[in-house]
Amino acid sequence: MSDDSIREILIAGGGTAGWMAAAALSVAFKPHQCRIVLVESEEIGTIGVGEATIPPIQLFNKILGVDEREFVAATQGSFKLGIEFVGWLREGERYFHPFGRYGDDFGLAPFHQHWRRARTLGSGIPLDAYSLNHQAAYRGKFEIPRPGSAGVFSTFSWAYHFDASLYARYLRSLAESRGVERIEGRIAEVVLGPENGFVERLILADGRALAADLFIDCTGFRGLITEALDTGYEDWTHWLPCDRALAVPCTRVADPVPYTRSTARQAGWQWRIPLQNRTGNGHVYCSGAISDDDACAVLMANLDGAPEADPRQLRFTTGRRRRAWNRNCIALGLASGFLEPLESTSIHLIQTGISKLLAWFPDRNFDPLVAQEYNRLVDAEMESIRDFLVLHYHANEREEPFWRQCRDMPIPDTLAEKMAMFRANGRLIERQHELFHPPSWLAVLLGQGVHPATHDPLADTVAPQELAAILGGMQHVIDQTAGSMPAHQQFIDRNCRAAARIPIPLASRDLEP
Amino acid sequence: MSDQAIRSILIVGGGTAGWISAAVLSRFLPPERCSITLVESEEIGTIGVGEATVPLMQHLNGLLGVDEREFVKATQGSFKLGIEFRDWGRIGDSFFHGFGDYGDAIEGVAPHHHWLKLRGEGDTTPIDAYSLPYAMARRGRFAPPSPDPANQQHFYRYAFHFDALLYARYLRSYAEQRGVCRIEGKVVDTELDGESGRIAAIVTADGQRHAADLFVDCSGFRGLLIEQALGTGYEDWRHWLPCDSAVVAPSTLTGPPAPYTRSTAREAGWQWRIPLQHRMGNGYVYSTRFTDDRRARDLFTSNVEGELLADPRVLRFTTGRRLQFWNRNCVAIGLAGGFMEPLESTSIQLIQTGIARLIEYFPDRNWNPRIAEEYNRVTTSEFERIRDFLILHYCLTRRDDAPLWDYCRTMALPDTLRHKIEVFKATGRVPLLAEESYQEPSWIAIFAGNGFLPDRYDPLVDRLDPERLRAGLAHRRQQLARAAEAMPPHALFIQRCCLAEAA
Repeated sequence: MSDDSIREILIAGGGTAGWMAAAALSVAFKPHQCRIVLVESEEIGTIGVGEATIPPIQLFNKILGVDEREFVAATQGSFKLGIEFVGWLREGERYFHPFGRYGDDFGLAPFHQHWRRARTLGSGIPLDAYSLNHQAAYRGKFEIPRPGSAGVFSTFSWAYHFDASLYARYLRSLAESRGVERIEGRIAEVVLGPENGFVERLILADGRALAADLFIDCTGFRGLITEALDTGYEDWTHWLPCDRALAVPCTRVADPVPYTRSTARQAGWQWRIPLQNRTGNGHVYCSGAISDDDACAVLMANLDGAPEADPRQLRFTTGRRRRAWNRNCIALGLASGFLEPLESTSIHLIQTGISKLLAWFPDRNFDPLVAQEYNRLVDAEMESIRDFLVLHYHANEREEPFWRQCRDMPIPDTLAEKMAMFRANGRLIERQHELFHPPSWLAVLLGQGVHPATHDPLADTVAPQELAAILGGMQHVIDQTAGSMPAHQQFIDRNCRAAARIPIPLASRDLEP
Repeated sequence: MSDQAIRSILIVGGGTAGWISAAVLSRFLPPERCSITLVESEEIGTIGVGEATVPLMQHLNGLLGVDEREFVKATQGSFKLGIEFRDWGRIGDSFFHGFGDYGDAIEGVAPHHHWLKLRGEGDTTPIDAYSLPYAMARRGRFAPPSPDPANQQHFYRYAFHFDALLYARYLRSYAEQRGVCRIEGKVVDTELDGESGRIAAIVTADGQRHAADLFVDCSGFRGLLIEQALGTGYEDWRHWLPCDSAVVAPSTLTGPPAPYTRSTAREAGWQWRIPLQHRMGNGYVYSTRFTDDRRARDLFTSNVEGELLADPRVLRFTTGRRLQFWNRNCVAIGLAGGFMEPLESTSIQLIQTGIARLIEYFPDRNWNPRIAEEYNRVTTSEFERIRDFLILHYCLTRRDDAPLWDYCRTMALPDTLRHKIEVFKATGRVPLLAEESYQEPSWIAIFAGNGFLPDRYDPLVDRLDPERLRAGLAHRRQQLARAAEAMPPHALFIQRCCLAEAA
């Protein structure tokens, strides 16, 4: 072992980000190679409001050696095939952003170009008919394809809804069994080295000092360590104006649907995340456009079961930390920035932050080029997600002042280019490090009323009868496959039913700085 | 079919670029939808000096439905596992840039970091010892990779050497069978549309006027349409890639053809050796800033193995790229779009990706400028990433025996390349940008081959027990040697599968 190796990592904060980092690092290092310590303050009973994810989380679980069914059972989880957006274009309209792909490419042009051309030839079949995810979701069906399933299942993809605090607990037991040490305590002070300004140690409220080579800041929005380094924050509220959320769980009234629902409200939107035992709800809003009381009334009037707790409020500023990696501190999760939960990207950003850290793991020389490269990659990913989120807000035809303002706001150039190209001929520009691929952009662009003027001229090279036969065949296969899947609840009951529905003590947790 | 569809395409120039373009377009556009015409002037008797490619060429063959063995047979072709570089870092040094990597990651960390660790402890095994294509190449063996991903012989790729002239002829018959109309003639004039500034037609020496919706300029370096008619402009890269001439000639074979290209650094450039079935292709690429034609010719001929089969001829070029590859209704493919010297055999790749991208961004007669902009943005990145990779070969040299090498060692580098070198030096990792043609193992090959090693290896390497690591890597080397030994000699493989008819 070389002299400059990192021998000790300190993770500050034990939420989802902290325990994900601890679990992943405990897989990478044996305790004698590198000591991993996580410090968190006495677990204040948090309420699982339900957290939604996207498909790459499967990879994270796989790296940790987590069994999918066991994990779903342990977190009151359910399966997610996509997001339904209600009222985002106009009141009364809805569209679905499915995971996976639409149809299969053939001929010279991407699938959706053929679909678009079929419309001009008189076909009335919606794009949704070619998404197995969508067809299964709206029938309330779900199954995990057998490993190696080819054919139509290659277009199918899924993620999870789960209780985030149960997930953190699950990962904690995993990490502790692999030698991560958990220290109970509240951080009172961050001490920097007098010469290089690196983080030297944390002082806890009871006076104990914790030193380490590398610090991982998972302290949430306030970024306790990274802000001790004066890292700074880039504010994106001019693009993503919502700054508060109210969250409340309610009782389960029906079998959970295999998708998240997002409903536009007068000055924000409301989420609905179905778990096995209850439903997570939240109202994300812009405090400049609606009062807290009114926002709370909107939320409570739109629950489909009885509330199981008082709503609790979160405040945030959309944006990102100027340097996710600064000196010997890496900010993960909310500490590194906040993009609202509209496309369920929070956990994903934690996950890719960890995998990038492992790819660019430092030694105690902390060459600034390493941090610079890490930050370049993190920035590119954040910006591409930001653009995707801004699209949801910007392209709307709603009447309220909040929505009109979103329509009129200047948008990032990178997004403007994508929209212009799509409007011209339906082509989707794909850039490096993009999390959301063309099918996702397609779903949201069309759903938000952005339509191409024409299609790719090379779609015209397929004869109309042949086109109708290919599209008809795909629609049929998808319809049959979705129809023959088991109901979502039935799949859960058979494979990953949570052991018991234990009520979790309720209390509020202050996420405020 | 919409009213605005492209109904006619005219390709100017019938070299490799012209006929690849014609073949690909004809493969996808049926003649009743879009007519494709290629204008070329009477074939001036040229000699194929041998052209080398990169593995992407297999895609091109697949796309066209060309049977690979039939193609190798028809072009006096041979197989290529990579490039051997001699005398580049220092005189006497040699390294291999193979079409493959250095093995699987070990505990999540790329193998070159583990190699670096052992090297720091005094192990002198070169990194090439972990390359299967190298193990094959140095033994003169060849067999295609196993299609089974579980087999370790799955993880390498290959490309081809062939006679470019025969290849153009081969594609010509392919394209003509699919309805491409070839017109014999020399382009003497270009007519622009007064309003839009687009090309309306070209005029050939016999006074015939040929109109089309879309023009593909494959007229070579001079850029008959893209430059001479549209005045697009050219970005000169000679301050980074100083070679501007090549002297070329075929020679007789002195032994069985090797399954790789050789590039040997010389006083004012470098010399290639491309083995075909019936002869050897040779060329010396040099910079007239640092030598003259006579001296270059003498150096070239004295270093050719075997007997020269023709008088050496000289080619001139300016490394760089057209400012816009797609301008108005004209797309420049091949040398008309830019030229980056043949050091990594990227010419045919750039033709192929240029034409594939044209299909991807196929226009209609509304000529939405966004389409050309996007095409140009992506193509520019592709060019610049290859440019950086080529410059790396030159700038890492430690040679101080000639003015060219002194220049290259000290020249100012593009920012993107400087960043890559700095990050590699600091971490042993290569930060990849968008549109990279070369992945990390290729960059590592050039860095390590030139003796340019990072300050540290990935610290995660130290998690492994050093004894286990040493034993594991020794085992890997043995397995590679065993796998290569089991393959047939390259010449035997050709004889069995794709022997050309006697020339």
